[in-house]
Amino acid sequence: MGVRPRRALLATTLLSSLVAASACGGGTADSASGDVTLIVKTFSQFGYDELYKEYEASHPGIKIKEENIGKLGDYTPKLQQWLATGKGAGDVVAIEEGILSQFMAKPDQFVNLLDHGAKELSGNFLPWKWQQASTSDGSKVIGLGTDVGAQGMCYRRDLFEAAGLPTDRDAVGKLWPTWDAYIATGRQFKAKSPDVGFYDSTGGLYLNMLMQSGDHTYYDATNKLVIDSNAAVRSTWDKSIEMVQAGLSADIEQWSPQWNAGFKNGTFATIPCPSWMLGTIEKQAGPENKGKWDVTKVPGNGAVRGGSFLAVPTQSTHQKEAAELAKFLTSAKGQTSAFKAKNNFPSSPQAIDDPAVQDFRNPYFNDAPVGKIFGDSVKALKPVYLGPDNNAIGDRVGNALLAVEQGKLQPGEAWAKAVDDAKRLAK
Amino acid sequence: MRKTQPLLYATLLVGIALSAFPLYWLFVVATRSNDVVGDWPPPLAPGPNLWDNLGRLFGAEDANFLLGMWNSLLTSAVVTVSVVFFSSLAGFAFAKLKFRGRNALLLVILATMMIPVQMGIIPLYMIMVELGWQNRMEAIVVPALVSAFGVFLMRQYAEQAVPDELIEAARIDGCSTFRIFWTIVLPALRPGAAVLALTTFMGTWNEFLWPLAVLEADNPTVQFSLSQLSTTYYTDYTLMFTGALVATVPLLLVFIAFGRQIIGGIMEGAVKA
Amino acid sequence: MATDLRPRTATSTPPGSAPPERPRTGLKDRISRVEVRWSPYLFVAPFFVIFAVFGLFPLVYTAWVSLHDWDITGAGAFVGLDNYVTLFADPDFWNSVHNTLGMLVLATVPQLLMALVLASLLNQKLRGVTFLRMGVLLPIVTSVAAVGIVFSQIFDRDAGMVNGLLGLVNVDAVDWRADKWSSWTAIATMVNWRWTGYNALIYLAAMQAIPKDLYEAATVDGAGRIRQFWSITVPNIRPAIVFTVIMSTIAGMQLFTEPLIFGQGSFAISGGSLRQFQTVSMYMFEKAFRDFDYGYGSAVAWMIFLLITVLGVVNFLITRRSK
Repeated sequence: MGVRPRRALLATTLLSSLVAASACGGGTADSASGDVTLIVKTFSQFGYDELYKEYEASHPGIKIKEENIGKLGDYTPKLQQWLATGKGAGDVVAIEEGILSQFMAKPDQFVNLLDHGAKELSGNFLPWKWQQASTSDGSKVIGLGTDVGAQGMCYRRDLFEAAGLPTDRDAVGKLWPTWDAYIATGRQFKAKSPDVGFYDSTGGLYLNMLMQSGDHTYYDATNKLVIDSNAAVRSTWDKSIEMVQAGLSADIEQWSPQWNAGFKNGTFATIPCPSWMLGTIEKQAGPENKGKWDVTKVPGNGAVRGGSFLAVPTQSTHQKEAAELAKFLTSAKGQTSAFKAKNNFPSSPQAIDDPAVQDFRNPYFNDAPVGKIFGDSVKALKPVYLGPDNNAIGDRVGNALLAVEQGKLQPGEAWAKAVDDAKRLAK
Repeated sequence: MRKTQPLLYATLLVGIALSAFPLYWLFVVATRSNDVVGDWPPPLAPGPNLWDNLGRLFGAEDANFLLGMWNSLLTSAVVTVSVVFFSSLAGFAFAKLKFRGRNALLLVILATMMIPVQMGIIPLYMIMVELGWQNRMEAIVVPALVSAFGVFLMRQYAEQAVPDELIEAARIDGCSTFRIFWTIVLPALRPGAAVLALTTFMGTWNEFLWPLAVLEADNPTVQFSLSQLSTTYYTDYTLMFTGALVATVPLLLVFIAFGRQIIGGIMEGAVKA
Repeated sequence: MATDLRPRTATSTPPGSAPPERPRTGLKDRISRVEVRWSPYLFVAPFFVIFAVFGLFPLVYTAWVSLHDWDITGAGAFVGLDNYVTLFADPDFWNSVHNTLGMLVLATVPQLLMALVLASLLNQKLRGVTFLRMGVLLPIVTSVAAVGIVFSQIFDRDAGMVNGLLGLVNVDAVDWRADKWSSWTAIATMVNWRWTGYNALIYLAAMQAIPKDLYEAATVDGAGRIRQFWSITVPNIRPAIVFTVIMSTIAGMQLFTEPLIFGQGSFAISGGSLRQFQTVSMYMFEKAFRDFDYGYGSAVAWMIFLLITVLGVVNFLITRRSK
């Protein structure tokens, strides 16, 4: 039949386009020589390049390949996809604190690092950091801590001066032993400088205060939703509303272009700043503002925001080697090296006390002793248990706060909505 | 009729100025330093930092920018040729040939366009794992070789642009269906095909979610490279804009080089009809 | 190629009809008849083969997943229609449907009208016609990232150009992200900006296929420009208009990128503090990839699919009736 040749022709066309396309593929496979290639999945910047070289030199036969995704928001769906399909996660994966609890609910997806000699390492980590990646009965550890989002409070010296406030960092720190004192300072500031926000947006401060307010937040240790019965959450909310109603906020959402511009233009005078944010401020505020920004302690007792872990997925074909690598990268030495490379603040007490970290000063911020400020903030911290939908609930509470800032909801309505949203989510 | 001409030109020029403004803004930001975005009033004149930004762009370690551009060029070209050919073929069949189940099949094609793209990521990735195509360009190219949108566009276009008499005449002359397609229909479809080629190329070039899902940073497409330029904790708008500008230059070149032909193709349609 | 068609118009048949039987016999003729009968299938086969592998499987798979309680790490328990039951009572879902339809109208209607006007302007004897036509296509080559930042500046609350202009006529600054009407307007503006030129080009391509003598005859009959536009141009490019309406509807139902980049902060996928501009696609993405509820997200995906299908059928019926 006259049809056949044409069908064959079409098939050939299809096939040849496949072949043409395959010419550019570049898959990676272990080389034939018997070397083991470990694939490390990271997001943002972990600052491990030097450590990889060192490890490869001291472990012949091991090669390391880091596959990095720039944004956490892009990385998270991929991680989900690798785990759901059982393929692609590589040998070591980075897990951010906020999504960790999701994985803790399914610990069998990850290698129990206790089986690979992690037990004796517990002293190398801040206790709460160790506990975060351990199952509640302590029988399994799925991740080893990398950095912590140690918190300071950044402030503009020139804006403080204009408002008649002290500018010296110790004196500024003494202005706010508590959050109430911080609000009082804000009112003083606004009285003199009504056009400048005292801080950028309320959501960040809320989170900061919440993490200082007890050993659990939206969930209790048995993963029961307690958002409406945990008095700490409610009082943190009320405190945040008080700030909104005092008109302290510049109402600028974090990570928007206007927020970036605000660092340069002096749209707000203070912002709680984790260690990794100093680089952001420096780049956004620009060289002409060098020395205007400074860092001091946060109100209350220490605080932390963000931070990550390294885990070994069970789909890895080199679990033993991968566990060894994860242990090396999260050792005190590894963390110090990562801090020097990318300002990721260590979660290991030994690394925090390392002079390389302790004595670190940031010239852009008036030579502020950031290593010491952040170290004090971290060590003062008590562990906080974050439940399974912690981040998702946090997002919803943040939105409710924003709606109050925008004048779209009364505080009472907003709180009811946040609780209702959390309940529907956790169902 | 003549009197309306100046007004006509003015209207069109305003329209084009509006169309071009974001592209111009892209250039302005790419020539400045990072603190400019969000300023008021917004700067409208170029600054001095273009070379500096370009240096940073091509020096960015994890972005593999040149490879990304090359991969995108290759995949976009293959996809475009394939989509235009197969869409014209199927579009012609749906518009001009009679066969059992035609309407039902057309409905299926329409229905496939309604599948929300974001959802396909996980099942598609499973297929790619089976085929061993993770981090390979086949994963980008093969699923995109045909397009429901393209078939539908060419079908609508063929319906009006190809006179039935022409096909009829060729049949009487004893032409096979493929020959009719090749010598009569395809040339008549050129204007529609030109539009389809342009949008398919741009669409493939701008594709983001799926490459991000199936590729790795060492073998990226250009949009993947662009997203690598920003990290969670730091957004360098200038660098992203410089990247977006550099990524747009080849498109502009293609556009300027072939734009005439695309527009020409449309003109030709007028002559034929 | 045969260009003189006129003598043959007598034998013209409506589109889609089979070629008339001819009194020829023999092997050659039989082959030819088989060819005529089967080649249409061959022509549409490439699409269906590729679609079967890369389109149908994801669809079926999504349906299967939507009947399960999936979390981040993969397959969970079979829950039947529970996800759909929850979905029907989910105010956030219906809110996103409402938003999507609202933005669909705001983006589609003005866009297609503007495209129609633009196309007819471009379909005239003009100087620099190539330059003008290429000019209206520039939005398509502009990257989405750039679009996002430019429009975020234009619609900024404190320093945006629109608020600056409103200030000149003593209108208070608008917080564009805080209300439904304002955020919908801003997002629809982005969509309209990106796609008007493209749709105009589709119309233009169709207009070029209209025989010039139709216009000449109309001019002789004394019909004005606007009259000609409505009674000749529009009916003759009907397939193109139907195409763009259906495509805009489908694209509008899947609206994702523009509202996402219009939103700010780390929870931009929620589309505003009270989900003022969250579309159904965003809601699906939030559920599947942010709340790690892949099963529920799949149910949302299927609801989107059904909604678009319903709209498609409505579209289809309307265009059928007006034929």
